[in-house]
Amino acid sequence: MIVPTLAMNTFREAVRDKILYVLTIFGVLMILVSRAIGYVSFGGEMKIMTDIGLASIWIFSGMVAIFIGTGLIYKEIDKRTIYTILSKPTERWQFLAGKYLGLLLTTAVNMALLSAAFLGYLWLCGAYISIALVQALFLTFIEMTIVTAVAIFFSSASTPILSAIFTTIIFFAGQMTKWVVDLGDSQELKQSAPWVGKLLYGAYLVLPNLHNFNIRQEAVLATHDSMALAIPMNEMWACTIYGMSYALAMLLAAHLLFSRRNL
Amino acid sequence: MPESDAIRTEGLRMVYNPGLFQARKVGLDGLDLDVPRGSIYGYLGQNGAGKTTTIKVLVGLQFPTAGKAWIMGGDIHDARSRRNVGFMPENPYFYEYLNAREALDFYGKLSGMDRAARLRRADELISEFGLSNAKTTLLRNYSKGMRQRLGLAQAIIHNPPLVILDEPMSGLDPLGRRDIRNVILSLRDRKQTVFFSSHILSDVEEICDRVCVIHQGKKVAEGPLASLLTGRVLEVKLSVSGLPAEKAPKLDGIARRTWHDGQLLHVVVDSDEKAQAAKAALEGAGGILRAMEQHKESLEEYFVRVTNAGQPAAAASVTIAPAMTAETVTSESKKG
Repeated sequence: MIVPTLAMNTFREAVRDKILYVLTIFGVLMILVSRAIGYVSFGGEMKIMTDIGLASIWIFSGMVAIFIGTGLIYKEIDKRTIYTILSKPTERWQFLAGKYLGLLLTTAVNMALLSAAFLGYLWLCGAYISIALVQALFLTFIEMTIVTAVAIFFSSASTPILSAIFTTIIFFAGQMTKWVVDLGDSQELKQSAPWVGKLLYGAYLVLPNLHNFNIRQEAVLATHDSMALAIPMNEMWACTIYGMSYALAMLLAAHLLFSRRNL
Repeated sequence: MPESDAIRTEGLRMVYNPGLFQARKVGLDGLDLDVPRGSIYGYLGQNGAGKTTTIKVLVGLQFPTAGKAWIMGGDIHDARSRRNVGFMPENPYFYEYLNAREALDFYGKLSGMDRAARLRRADELISEFGLSNAKTTLLRNYSKGMRQRLGLAQAIIHNPPLVILDEPMSGLDPLGRRDIRNVILSLRDRKQTVFFSSHILSDVEEICDRVCVIHQGKKVAEGPLASLLTGRVLEVKLSVSGLPAEKAPKLDGIARRTWHDGQLLHVVVDSDEKAQAAKAALEGAGGILRAMEQHKESLEEYFVRVTNAGQPAAAASVTIAPAMTAETVTSESKKG
């Protein structure tokens, strides 16, 4: 019961925080203005609406995970609210798990609201609600499980500002892992500075491969058919398992940092 | 550990390593404690003596460098042992977006209480701690005294057999301190053990069964108050009428100080023997003894003596040492 209690309390904290509303409202506004941008573009109005809508959900969900997540553990220690929690029969892993699941629930609710606004708006505008879109939204959520875990990891060891900077870097660097490995593999680099290639390969191994979760372009291109898939289902499952494994690894690393920390 | 102990520590040591090029700091230095069940145990020490460190180690917020500790028979490293403990930190902080009822419900859940018991107990404590008028007010609007009361309420919501309080009276006005004192006394009446640190020695003296004094991370004195405060006389004050200042006898070598307030001549000496000599001299000069007051060592004076800063070795020898309560003996002279 301890983990769900802490998770629900974290969710309640986020719900009573203005930043969640600000980000959600901005996300919905972005979705609504996407049609106006579509109007002024040449052709493919629906595609642009879909593109902007999916990107808005991705970026605003990422912002919720980063802005709320990076202060989550630090604030508890700084404001000493953690004293009355860990002095109850609460294990430290339960505390981290509760915080993580609460933030994930917050992100999920935020995503659900934005997705409802997005899909509803598309439907009102007469577009198909394709399975490909649902796939894209689902993988965005799996991506957020990683970003949330990264935010919790940094928050358990650093200040909110530093944690936000590191998590944001990883959020964007994770989108470029394919480019990083290609660059490290290039013949020119192998000949001129082989150690840079090894460094880039090391970064590729450590960074979350968030590029895998970006199937937004495929989803946009598949909007002509409501039954079309953006990617095959086996790839979906592979991405899901990878995302959950990476998030779990980050949480274990956070636990290692936090489990023996003197408060 | 003996079943009679609510808290036991053996050689508890805490060393902080602040980082490169900075000296390590010893927070606790081989601390041995035995807190009997059902007692109110005062834990005293100067700022930085190691009181809060001890408490944080006991409730699992910090990890000792060496040594062992048990609470209600359970190892402190086992989170389940904290089911038997209620803890209030110094200046407790809460989630400001909650109200008192939500906060107590939250802490009750963490303590493993079922819903019906939580809600019943939350309402009971809100009423007992005088928070009924503010039970739906967000905690960010609570005063320090209200937070302190809520802090105590969350610590005892699950009726733990051991309650650990870190400076529970710090910063409270006299009424707030009285309320907290009464709660602590009522816990003892219910056979619960209370272990608390405090700087307010008059409160400790008033309610504690036993006290422990630590200095620089080491225990320097411990025992029942009655055995520590044995009545060592620090001063005796004699008040005499019928002796104007110019007729007062010379009391060189006897009186520590003398003064006349217009009606009475006051003489302060530092022992009972000197008081008898001064009494004889004053009565011999025609004075009438109106009062003779003994000032015995208070807990505060005892505390200052045993923690005499910079001399822990001397203080260490005091374990079960003479000490005292402030006691006044007034006597009227038969001479008239």
